[in-house]
Amino acid sequence: MAQILVVDDSSTVRNEVGDFLKANGLSVVTAVDGKDGLDKLKAHPSIKLVVSDVNMPNMDGLTMAEKIRNEHKNGAVGIIMLTTENSPAMKERGKAAGIKGWIVKPFNGPVVIGTLKKLVN
Amino acid sequence: MNLRHRITLLVGLSFVAITAIGSYSVLESWKNAAEVKTVTEGVVPSALGAADLVAQLKEIQLATATLVTAPDSNIAMQVKDKLIAQKAQLKEGLNQQFQYASGDVQQGLLKQAREGLDDYFTAIDETTQFKLAGQTELAQATLFASVAQYQREMGQVIDTLRIEKNRSKDSAIASLNRNLSSAVTTISVATVMAILALGAFGALLYRRITQPISRMQTMMSEIAASQDFTRRVPVDQMDEIGHSIVAFNSMIARIQESSELLKQKTLDIQTMLQNMPQGILTITDGNRVHPEYSAYLETIFETRNIAGRGMLDLVFSSSSLGADALAQVEAVGGACIGEDVMNFEFNSHLMVGEIEKKMADGRVKILDLSWSPITDEAGTIVRLMLCVRDVTELRKLAAEANAQKQELEIIGEILAVPQEKFHEFIAGSIKFIDENEQILLQNQEQDSAAIAQLFRNMHTIKGNARTYGLQHLTNLVHEAEHTYDRLRKQRPDIAWDHAMLVQELAGVKDLIERYAKINEVSLGRKGPGRRGNVERYLMVDKQQIQQTIQRLEKVNTSNIHELVAARDAVRKSLHLLGTEPIGEVLAGVFESLPALAKELGKEAPIVKIEDNGYVLRSQASSLLKNVFMHLVRNAMDHGLETPAERVGQNKPAIGSISLAMDVSEGMLQIRLGDDGRGLALASIRKLATEKGLIAAADSPSDEEIARQIFRPGFSTADKVTEVSGRGVGMDAVNDFVKRENGRIEIRFLDHAQGADFRQFEIVVSLPESFAEHVDGDEALRIERARQELLMSESGSNSNNEGNPVLQLLKGGLRTV
Repeated sequence: MAQILVVDDSSTVRNEVGDFLKANGLSVVTAVDGKDGLDKLKAHPSIKLVVSDVNMPNMDGLTMAEKIRNEHKNGAVGIIMLTTENSPAMKERGKAAGIKGWIVKPFNGPVVIGTLKKLVN
Repeated sequence: MNLRHRITLLVGLSFVAITAIGSYSVLESWKNAAEVKTVTEGVVPSALGAADLVAQLKEIQLATATLVTAPDSNIAMQVKDKLIAQKAQLKEGLNQQFQYASGDVQQGLLKQAREGLDDYFTAIDETTQFKLAGQTELAQATLFASVAQYQREMGQVIDTLRIEKNRSKDSAIASLNRNLSSAVTTISVATVMAILALGAFGALLYRRITQPISRMQTMMSEIAASQDFTRRVPVDQMDEIGHSIVAFNSMIARIQESSELLKQKTLDIQTMLQNMPQGILTITDGNRVHPEYSAYLETIFETRNIAGRGMLDLVFSSSSLGADALAQVEAVGGACIGEDVMNFEFNSHLMVGEIEKKMADGRVKILDLSWSPITDEAGTIVRLMLCVRDVTELRKLAAEANAQKQELEIIGEILAVPQEKFHEFIAGSIKFIDENEQILLQNQEQDSAAIAQLFRNMHTIKGNARTYGLQHLTNLVHEAEHTYDRLRKQRPDIAWDHAMLVQELAGVKDLIERYAKINEVSLGRKGPGRRGNVERYLMVDKQQIQQTIQRLEKVNTSNIHELVAARDAVRKSLHLLGTEPIGEVLAGVFESLPALAKELGKEAPIVKIEDNGYVLRSQASSLLKNVFMHLVRNAMDHGLETPAERVGQNKPAIGSISLAMDVSEGMLQIRLGDDGRGLALASIRKLATEKGLIAAADSPSDEEIARQIFRPGFSTADKVTEVSGRGVGMDAVNDFVKRENGRIEIRFLDHAQGADFRQFEIVVSLPESFAEHVDGDEALRIERARQELLMSESGSNSNNEGNPVLQLLKGGLRTV
């Protein structure tokens, strides 16, 4: 079964998002920062979608996205950023890293879940 | 002929020309080759042969001479053999010459040579024989005579032949040269002509192709540059290019059409943007406002500085939106524009739907914002569209309507409670509230005893409010009680916030006072329970309030027209609250007339009512019903005659009763008259005299006599009728009216002083406050609305019970 990787250094967000996705029948893997995210992605090949925070210690979300894109050039892993702000520079980097969507916090579960399910499958 | 044909023709002609020139060249070459062959193989060798013949002849002559002069016969024999060979050779050479003899001259010369040769050879043979026979002298003689003779002849013939052959050879070579040069000339000329002709034709064709194409190209470039789609490329001939031009022209025509359509559409959109009473703008990258926006936006934001401005500044500056929400809107704009449309789905919930914005002059506008993405074919959001509506008025209306709705609901709640109980409830609740106020005043800090008391008091109010179904109050009290409940727990989950508690309590108090005020002012139920003073209070039908509430509840608050209509209807109903048209008040009285008429053997009269724009306070209803029931019955019984009597007096068979209402000299006056026989003054005087009410000697005025009917126990009827003569007659009526500070009098309408019957009207006067004037327009509107409702309802619901407004307008304000 396809899985979703939730990457956020805040355990609150991680749990909230993770629990919400689980409650909606999705299989979830969590990671605490970009580095951990890359490790988890290697360990779980069935991850099809990454939902990640931007600002994190060790490795930020955008850097992680760029690394994922380098390893999965065919775009088999979709990336969605969970953010509070948005700048043209971020968007530029995001576009280059093939980021599919930007969800501004706080996220609206019922609206997001349908699209996420589609992306995962 | 079209171009394909022309090109085919050009190619065909080229082929024909090449073939013709080629064939001619081949033919000429072939002919010349044959001639060359004749010359080289015939004429020239034959000329050379002729020259050889001369030499051979000389050799034979020499051999013959040698033979003749040979010293011995051996040598002679040898020479003879040589001579024979040489003779054969010459003969052979001569015979060969026949083969190439051309013309009669040569033939003749050859024949002559052959004949001469025979003679010559014969002479030689003779000479030879002479020599071989040893007759050398004879041989010499023959040699010098006949041989030499024949040899000379032969020599001449052969030389002539040689010359002739040479001439013939030269002539053949010259002819050959001529032929060759002629062929070369012909081919050259033909080739040049063919080249010229084909070149000219080609050039013509080239011009025919390139000219229109280059003209078309020029015209196309011009049209493209000028965008003037009214222009067309002229068509000279209907070949392929002509067809292309026609196709191009029709394409231009179509472009012209669609360009005009586009222009029209653009204009329409522009017009729409200029005139629609709605603010529309689109947001580009960086949350900037696109230069195209609807003109009304300038009215909404009261600025012309819109194009290219930051959307956040334009829309949200001086608005009620907090910094965090603003940052979210900004981030969402960034997250959507230039991204997949799903990003709008993800984030649109963060886009603000309504704001309050302070204008430069301090006015606050309520703006409704609706956001939508504009996407390209790939589903990428290129811009966000924002529709801005100024809903200040709408919200104000909605708030008004809600306030009215709440008030009506409260009225409904109150009316369901008996007045006395309600009075008790309010008094008790105020006492509890006062107590709570005192507790709060004395306890600035958390105190468990205080909380317990606060809770108990509030709980009691809630219980009572709930018992009486005072829902609005129950809800609010519940919140206060809930706060106390949380504070009184062992470990309260909220802090003691004194200011908040005071405020909450004040809110409850306000609502209780509002209930009390509505009860006293709007419903006129002041005090523990008696009918309210007509000057201060209204009497309202509970059902009417319920129906008005329903009307408000059903209204769609997002539809401003419906909202306004509902507000108008409610305003109207509130305005008319506690009033009734006289026709409605007395409807029961008039409806009883047909039955009454039948009882009296009369026809039901026509009733005319003139209210002059006045309606009655409901407090008067009961009184007037009683009064006019009596007065109208009297009119039917004593006034109106039977149809037979009426016809005998030249009156219409059907009588009429008129009722007029007006206000004069500070009094509401209701005049009742009929076209019957009038007041029976003679009978009244007689009866009053009999009863000792007036002295027989007196001569009272008609007015004094008339007043007798208000005396207790007075009745003029011959017998006590079922209808009016029940003893409690006009004196009771008079009492009723007096009790309300009114009076009742009889006013004569004719001047027949002292007559037995006089025309009159009864005037019931009451204080002016029993009447309410409805201005003409409003009366008309009410009447029209009533008619419309009656018409619209008559099909589906004959008794009209279901329609609240109709009930209202029909005068559903019945006395409680």
